[in-house]
Amino acid sequence: MVSSIWTERYRPIKFSEIVGQDNSVKRVEALTNSLNIPHMLFAGPAGTGKSTLALIVVKELYKENWKENYLELNASDERGINVVREKVKNFARTKSLGNIPFKIIFLDEADALTPEAQQALRRTMENYSATCRFIMSCNYSSKIIDPIQSRCALFKFKLLEKKDVEQVIYKIAEAEKLTINPAAVEILYEGCEGDCRRCINILQSTASISPSITAELVATIISNTKPRDIKVVLDYALSGDFQKAKEKLLDMMLRESISGQDVIKAIQKEIWNLPIEPTMKVKLTEKTGEIEFRIVEGSDPFIQLQSLLASFVLAGLGKE
Amino acid sequence: MPWVEKYRPRKFSEIKGQDEAVLKIKDFLKNFGKKKKAMLLHGPPGTGKTSLAHVAAKENKFEIFELNASDLRNREKLRTILKPAIQQKSLQNDNKLILVDEVDGISEYDYGGVGELLEIIEGTTYPIIITANDIWDKKFNLLRKKCEVLQLKEIGYDIIKSVISEISKIERIEINDDFTTELAIKAKGDLRAAINDLQTLSKIKDYLSIILDERNKETDIFNSLRKVFKEKPTNETLGVFDSVKMSIDDIILWVEENIPAEYSGKELARAYDLLSKTDVFRGRIYKQQYWRFLVYENIFLSYGIASVKKDAKTGFTTYKKPTRILQIWMNNQRTVYKKSICEKYSAYVHVSKKRAMNEFPVIKQILKANPLIQKELKLEDEEIEYLRL
Repeated sequence: MVSSIWTERYRPIKFSEIVGQDNSVKRVEALTNSLNIPHMLFAGPAGTGKSTLALIVVKELYKENWKENYLELNASDERGINVVREKVKNFARTKSLGNIPFKIIFLDEADALTPEAQQALRRTMENYSATCRFIMSCNYSSKIIDPIQSRCALFKFKLLEKKDVEQVIYKIAEAEKLTINPAAVEILYEGCEGDCRRCINILQSTASISPSITAELVATIISNTKPRDIKVVLDYALSGDFQKAKEKLLDMMLRESISGQDVIKAIQKEIWNLPIEPTMKVKLTEKTGEIEFRIVEGSDPFIQLQSLLASFVLAGLGKE
Repeated sequence: MPWVEKYRPRKFSEIKGQDEAVLKIKDFLKNFGKKKKAMLLHGPPGTGKTSLAHVAAKENKFEIFELNASDLRNREKLRTILKPAIQQKSLQNDNKLILVDEVDGISEYDYGGVGELLEIIEGTTYPIIITANDIWDKKFNLLRKKCEVLQLKEIGYDIIKSVISEISKIERIEINDDFTTELAIKAKGDLRAAINDLQTLSKIKDYLSIILDERNKETDIFNSLRKVFKEKPTNETLGVFDSVKMSIDDIILWVEENIPAEYSGKELARAYDLLSKTDVFRGRIYKQQYWRFLVYENIFLSYGIASVKKDAKTGFTTYKKPTRILQIWMNNQRTVYKKSICEKYSAYVHVSKKRAMNEFPVIKQILKANPLIQKELKLEDEEIEYLRL
């Protein structure tokens, strides 16, 4: 059945259809053709084709039996390493179907696992290496511990360039009978930040309103997806109304389920549009960097962000 | 059924707290044709704009024809649907009322939508009611001129309180007076929010006993907070939270909630700075399992936050219970469908649930507009309903 979700409908099914990753794709294709693949680590930003490539490998190897020989896990969704191990164990217990002597486990977002969990995973990889191959994906290979990296062939994925994104957009536009002008493509490319999945989703979202895709319409859809109210929050803080700023922040984060990290990213960008002295911009950026670090480290985002807002209140008073 | 639907007013007499608006709208419909052809109802969320329009239609036996902002975006659709509706007399019913709901949903890119609306007002033979939260944007300049503008006030807390009490009687929820008052104040004039909160809370069976239990602990924490926020620190301040029977994590929440009630400007910033460092050490304890860091957590939270003030403070301050956790919990209740939708979606398209949640605004539009996808993902009726909200 053809999916109505475009990210699925237009997901590449052949190696040659993946755009922008020639180098990695060629090497993986060669390995797949040899019918014997090593453990692999796909590193690169979101929406650049990591899961897609894994799926192609699996379908090439097992043809119609691929579902039986393939397990997909997402490290950021599974509750702890024990669940991952349990699922791997159950899956790896039975032999593979067909003439390939191993099954494939795709562990998406492996860098969401803590170093300790990765150590445990490494044991699991060793225990089942006779019957299973692991393909792991991550955003940054540096977040994967060395022992795992050394067991895997590393493939790097890069952000899609404009020509790659354009190719995808025009292909879909033609198939879906959309009219789209270069200005709209430009905005779509800027808005998706090299992430193909996001690009297609924005395109489908726009097309669900009208089949003639204009730059304005795309811009509306994109602006709906950004933490819009951050400026309002900062304006309250700068005007000295801490309480309002705080309420608005909490409300925004809860209502739209925006993570602390997304909020701080938006604040960091917004600082440059604020009507404050250059020295103040730098000071606030220093503070913002420190707060982002703390949040990444696992501090409570609400408390940390409130302390940042309090600094903005001071900046508004013209003090430090 | 959501209580906001169940208890939506059906008659003018059931509309609470908007007597003046009711009179004006009756007058508008009675004298339609003599003056302006559209009425622009504006006011904060949950003040009864949509209800008012529906009741007005019902009481006058008008057939109601409803549009929302996303319809206005699409000129084609409007022309095909609305124009015939304006021009033809409907068969069973002589009269129609056109309701254009939430017109401020028209984005800045949709000037065309406003233009379309102005044209419709020009050509209509039926009364039009338009609702909006905020009409002072310049894109509505012309619209304001073409319409009779009627502002709805925030609903008074006493009225909200009486409505909540009434509903809890019908739904047989035992709820004490203090708590109804608290809910009503928290709603800040938004009756819909208050009813939604009541319904959410009614699902936790022993919520009220939890609240009563907390009341006892509160006297202790109030005294400790008073010392920290009002007095200059002494060595005794270091032990100020010792007698409070709460975990240090809970105490942090209390302090967080109440810093702005006592401090402002420089003191506020320094106090939050120390609170955020308290939180950093809390994280380090969990991470390293190095419990000596508790010393720093404790010193910053008590003596540290007491030390930021220049002078001791006078006067009485009522400290508030931390609302954040409750708000998070209630929000989670509201977003259960969002979560379940993202779960189905993420499994289907090979992304993590977390990512699907992050990109929900885009995904939502895609799912909402396409019944085929809803079927493909096997979405339940409730989930589809959530998408439409």
